[in-house]
Formats: sequence, C-alpha cells, structure tokens
Amino acid sequence: MSDEITLPLQSYLARKLSVPGLIVGDLARIPGGASRETYRFRISYDRGGERVERGLILRRDPPASLIETERSTEFRAYGAFHRLGLPVPEPIALELEAGDLERPFFIMEEITGCSVASVLMPDPYGVHREKIGMQFFTTLGRIAQADPHALGLGDFDGPMTRETCWSHEVSRWETVIDEDERELQPIARATIRWLKRNPPPPAQKISVVHGDYRTGNFLFDPDGNIRAILDWEMAHLGDPLEDLGWALDPLWAHGDPSRPAGTVARAKAIAIWEESSGLKADPQALAWWEIFASLKGLAIWISAAREYAEGRNSDPVNAFSGWFCLAFHNHVLAEKLGAEL
Amino acid sequence: MSPEADQILLLSSSQLSGTLVPLLPSGYAQGQASLLSFMMVMCAQEYERGADIRARENSEIRDLFTTLAPDVTDKDLAAQLAAAAVTRDESLAISTLNTANAELRRLLIALQTLLEQQDNRAAQARIWELLKRSAARRLIKLA
Repeated sequence: MSDEITLPLQSYLARKLSVPGLIVGDLARIPGGASRETYRFRISYDRGGERVERGLILRRDPPASLIETERSTEFRAYGAFHRLGLPVPEPIALELEAGDLERPFFIMEEITGCSVASVLMPDPYGVHREKIGMQFFTTLGRIAQADPHALGLGDFDGPMTRETCWSHEVSRWETVIDEDERELQPIARATIRWLKRNPPPPAQKISVVHGDYRTGNFLFDPDGNIRAILDWEMAHLGDPLEDLGWALDPLWAHGDPSRPAGTVARAKAIAIWEESSGLKADPQALAWWEIFASLKGLAIWISAAREYAEGRNSDPVNAFSGWFCLAFHNHVLAEKLGAEL
Repeated sequence: MSPEADQILLLSSSQLSGTLVPLLPSGYAQGQASLLSFMMVMCAQEYERGADIRARENSEIRDLFTTLAPDVTDKDLAAQLAAAAVTRDESLAISTLNTANAELRRLLIALQTLLEQQDNRAAQARIWELLKRSAARRLIKLA
C-alpha cells in the first residue's frame, strides 16, 4: 500500500509546493488510530543550490472512519493553534476531494524524537509525570482561554451559546448512539436521560474544544517536554469544561484515576487548568461534564463496534474500543449514576 | 477438550507478542500485532465467562421483572414484563443468550424510563444495582 501512495503523493506535492526536484521517500505507515490512516515520509527538493530535506506526516481517510469528522475543521484547528504558539504541528496541505490519493487527506510537519503513550501502559511518563502533567493541563487551559474568533475559528459549529452548548453535545452523541447501536445499551440511555434532567450551569464562555484531549494524543520527548498536541479531528465550539472532563476521565488515567492522564494528582490538575485558563472548574458543572465524557466515550465505542462488526473497518482498534473501552465506560457510569440514588 | 480454547488463545498470544512481534518492522506493524495479541487474551477471558455473564444478566433481569411488574402502572408494559419474567434461555449458546438479552434490555430500558418519570427511587435503585453488577462482570481484566 505504501508504494501505491509514494508516486501520487510526490506528484501532488510537486504541484502543491512548487519546488524543483521534489522527491518523496521513506514512506511508512505508523500508528495513528482508526479514524485516519497515518504515514510518515520525507521530502527533499532543491532550494538555492542546496538539497533541502523535511519530514512530513500524511493523514488519509480510511475506507470507513471511526467517527465521521470534518477534515477541514481538523486542519483549521491545527493551523490556528500552531500559529498561537502551542505545541501543535504545522499543517501543510489539505485535500477534501478523493483525487490524488483516492480519499481525502491532509499533510503536516513531522515532530521527531518523541513517544506517545499507550492507554494500556501503567506508568508511561515515569519520572516526568509531574512535568508532563503541568504542561498537559497548562496547554489545555490555554486552549480554553483562547478566543475562537481571534483564532479564526468562530464559525466552527454555527451559532453556539453558553446556555445551550451542553444540549448540543448531548444531542450530537445521542444521535451517534441512535445510528450505530447494534445492541441496546441501558446504561448509555439512562445516562442520556440523566444528563437532560440535570443540565449543567451555563458555560463561562464559548471556547474551542479540542474534543479528544487526553493521554495518548500528544507526543513527548525523552526529557518530558510535550512537543505536539495531536488529533484535533473532533474540535468544535463549546464549554471549555468539556475538554477538562474528558482529560480527567478514568479511562485515560493509566489505572490510577487519582492521577488523571497518568500525571499529577487530580486537584493539582484542576488547579493548573484554572490558573492557565483564567476560568473556574465549578465542581458541580465539572461533575456533569465528566459524566458526559464517559457517555461520549460510549458513543464513540458503540460506533467503533459497528464499523468493525459490519466489516467497514477491520482495524483491531475498533474491536478493542467496541469491547474493552465500552465495558470500561459502562462500569464507570453505572457506579457514578447508581450512587446518585 | 484439552487444551481448551482459552489456553490456545493465551499461548498463541504469548507466541505472537514474545516471538513474532519483535520480528516485524517497528511502528505500525508491531503496534497492530501487539493489539491483536492483547485481544486474544480478551477472547480467552470471554471464552471462559461469556455464557456465564450473559446467562446471569438475563436471569437477574427476569427476577427484577418478577419483583417490579406487579407495581407497574402502565398495564401494557406490566404485561410485557410479566411475560418476559417467565421466559427461559433455550440454550447457553452465546447467540441465543444475546437474542434473549436484547429483548430483556429493551424492556429494562422502558421500565427504567417509566420509574424515572414516576420518581420511584427505590425501584430505580434496584435497577442500578443490577446494572452495576452486570457492568462489573463485563469489565476486561488486565492482569
């Protein structure tokens, strides 16, 4: 498959970048989730009598995606937060038509010399967990603090209000469950009803919500520096507490929910976020968004299970998500909502 | 049968992760093969417990319907609950248990929704206890 991509990609980039002597090499598929096929490659070209080399990443749509997401949204989010100075790779090119590479794709810079944590690793950050936690929640606070209009992302989701963003999100994921549920999910349904009966207070502001801000979606170097926040494909406008609730979810805690994302203690994580964002994490509102986060997880895992079971995407991560993660979040929600009575 | 399917899956997983994965190119191939290896461990767990967790859940839902149906004010739903309460699983085949479970879950959702509307907290608590036990049984154990 990689060889089938190299030549069309080279032809595309030669046109797109308008640089002489462009050659694509070392194309290799790398892990990157089931929602996009991810490849690493290098380009070289002539500039001022010298040969220039650069590493790039190709993210191409698979035949069927985990969650149907808007490619241009992802691309614009990368660009906006890269320009803001956050650790986000520079986006290079976006193609929405299934032309050169048969499916839509985008290209961004490669960040080298880094690792990404697996959700199943018990202690992925070792001696750097406090340092990484500080950066992780500080950066999330900066995303929350940023003005979507100043970023050029004010039109992301159409009109969004502080009072209704929560119901917009519940409806979004309820629709996913309605469409993709292959076996009835009593806990998901009870959670949706609970979320609607117990709405959170209005958002303090409307922010860009990353949508999948968690351990496993950033690159860090051997010195414990976060070098790249990745996977902006579910970015949207909404309550900034949505991202915090997702980041704190126990599924991403590497087995120790008292240390969200496998980093700092929970209270410290929240304090770092508040300091960085200038916002308050009201406990009642945050509790609502944490329950929502696990419901959103269920919706994603239900969708993944359907993709796999119906043969549209046989990536094993879909089977893993639709089984392991679904069981995990069902358990989390049953314990939380069962305790409400 | 000896070896049982779960033993075959566990040893195959060990062979895959310990012997074959290191021979693959690093990155995507190793990552995918490692995940497949882990899922073989999950399948081994499910081979041992799959029928049991489904049969238990079905039985507990039926018992709950037996207890709660007489007090359900929606007569149509009460009749459906009473009828479902006396059904039995025709076999321990996973597909048969799943088919029965789907109908029981449909009624459970309807019952829980009605009890929430009536603010019947005691009966809701019974359902949540059942859901907690069921969710705990379906968790994948990592160790």
